[in-house]
Amino acid sequence: MTQSEKASSAIRMQVLIVDDSALIRLYFRQALEGAGFEVEQAINGIEAMEKVLAEMFDLAIVDVNMPKMDGLSFIRKLRRNGSDVAALPILMVTTEAGQKDIEEARAAGANFYLVKPISETDLVRYVAALAGVGA
Amino acid sequence: MPLVKRGNPTSPAGATPAHEGIASYTSALANPDPDTRWTAARALGARAEAVPALAAALSTEGVPRVREAIMTALMRVGDNASVAALLPYMRSQDASVRSSAIEALQAMPDTIQPFMARLFQDDDTDVRILASELARNLPADDATRILCALLQDEQHPNVCAAAIDVLAEVGTSAAVPVLRACAQRFSQMPFLPFAVSLAIARITGSEGSGME
Amino acid sequence: MTRPEWPAHVVPITPDDVRRLCEFLYRRTGMLFADDKRYYIDRRLAERIVATGSLSFQSYFAMLRADAGQEIEHLVNAFTVNETYFYREEHQLRCMTVDLLTNVLRGKNPEEPIRIWSIPCSTGEEPYSIAMWLMENWSPVDDYNIEIVGSDIDTRVLKSAEEGVYGERALLRLPKALIDRYFQNLGSGRYQIDEGLRESVQFTRANLIDSESMAAHRRFDIVFCRNVLIYFDDASRRIAAENLYDCMRSGGYICLGHSETMSRISSLFDVSRFSDAIVYQKPQANHDAK
Repeated sequence: MTQSEKASSAIRMQVLIVDDSALIRLYFRQALEGAGFEVEQAINGIEAMEKVLAEMFDLAIVDVNMPKMDGLSFIRKLRRNGSDVAALPILMVTTEAGQKDIEEARAAGANFYLVKPISETDLVRYVAALAGVGA
Repeated sequence: MPLVKRGNPTSPAGATPAHEGIASYTSALANPDPDTRWTAARALGARAEAVPALAAALSTEGVPRVREAIMTALMRVGDNASVAALLPYMRSQDASVRSSAIEALQAMPDTIQPFMARLFQDDDTDVRILASELARNLPADDATRILCALLQDEQHPNVCAAAIDVLAEVGTSAAVPVLRACAQRFSQMPFLPFAVSLAIARITGSEGSGME
Repeated sequence: MTRPEWPAHVVPITPDDVRRLCEFLYRRTGMLFADDKRYYIDRRLAERIVATGSLSFQSYFAMLRADAGQEIEHLVNAFTVNETYFYREEHQLRCMTVDLLTNVLRGKNPEEPIRIWSIPCSTGEEPYSIAMWLMENWSPVDDYNIEIVGSDIDTRVLKSAEEGVYGERALLRLPKALIDRYFQNLGSGRYQIDEGLRESVQFTRANLIDSESMAAHRRFDIVFCRNVLIYFDDASRRIAAENLYDCMRSGGYICLGHSETMSRISSLFDVSRFSDAIVYQKPQANHDAK
């Protein structure tokens, strides 16, 4: 099924939110569910890995600073995985705004990078674009 | 059942390590073999005399699991010297090092508490953002007092967001006025008003609010 | 389901209180309660508030956060089935014979024993289940030396495990054919594991957070460490994880309880997904990377 076929079908896009902040997860969930996405969560890179290996996602939103496995380590590990999950689109969201941080995220394999705080509108727009749904 | 054999409880390879003196383990912290350094770090856990050596080893350790083991050892000592040894790593350029340091510090709530006021005054925004996490394991009144003092004057939205997240779990009703003021200050910013509203709902246990 | 009317003297709990509790539990244990399960939590939470004599949700929550009197364990136990019985979490046993053993054997010489550890083993249902399952479901079982060790901190349960006597409840998941094959009916609803099987499992005392008692246990290929780490505090989880790591061969696997996740315990192990289970693997030797 092509992305545009998926967009027009009843199948909803699955987004994984990876952030150790409960408030961020709730905020993102509300925005995305309101826009028709299905949402799952993880609080760090290890739980994220469990989730992406167990089910198919169209996109993961990944924070940087998380306990046990940070976001960059998770992305690097994901990109090294031998299966389809390695190609999962990643939207990195973080508090760091430095050029070096953006470069590091790109080098790790993130597809796009947003700096917090993020508006609901922006979030939905970027998620839709990266998950391959027409904006 | 001949084929499910009863073996020795101790496999030949697993002789119980003899009790070495601290000196032997601290010098092993500099061994080129990561497994040797790992074993040494673990053996020095909770040994206060070893903190200087652990701190020194931490500054040069490149293997993540050995670094974690050194931090665990420091955490198990749990004194001011251990905190002092771990604090600089909140500034690391490496996200995994920062997170590990925070986790170890978070596990020493009594010891870390006196250090927090200074952390919240740090010029580095990232340090102030991470510092809120250290309040999470404090008793509710202490965490509330410390985080409210931060929120009173803090201008950076992401620092406030971090503090609000912790207050949502830990905060008491004493935090409500400061939280409301914070929402006012950032009324034009995304996320902050939502965060405040939700934190107040959790704190006051009020029904239905905070989700919109 | 009709919600009961709480009498006026009962401590009030609001939906936001429950959300706060759930967020805390999720963060600490990984257990997630969807909105439709919230009524279930209301009930258990109310029970624990009464049991602890707490006068408000706030005071109960403070107690929980401090884990006073092992309250986290009591609360989590209120949500989970605590009984131990044979063939519990069968999908992990299946994962062992379908996937794990093949991978484990790749790294070994054929003469090397396969070592499997059940810790904590409690009264022995788990290690005996492992032995039975291997006999029944792993065709190469006759070609290898398999060492099964069951360990616990409590010497009384170890003694009980060595005796191998169980009531009918423990055997509920077992087909009659297996009970006939591996147990002797002692009458009065008591069954004893056959001597051969009893002798195929070694029982030892071990404390997960005591490196010395753990040091006597080495080179395990598969470890079942279920429903214990979830109750440890952060410091103990780290130490236990380090100890377990040292007790395993490189490339060895560790299985946790079904409500547990390594994401709340340690970064030492890699996540491994198989069709029957998610398990965790000690990285292969020379995997230490920056």
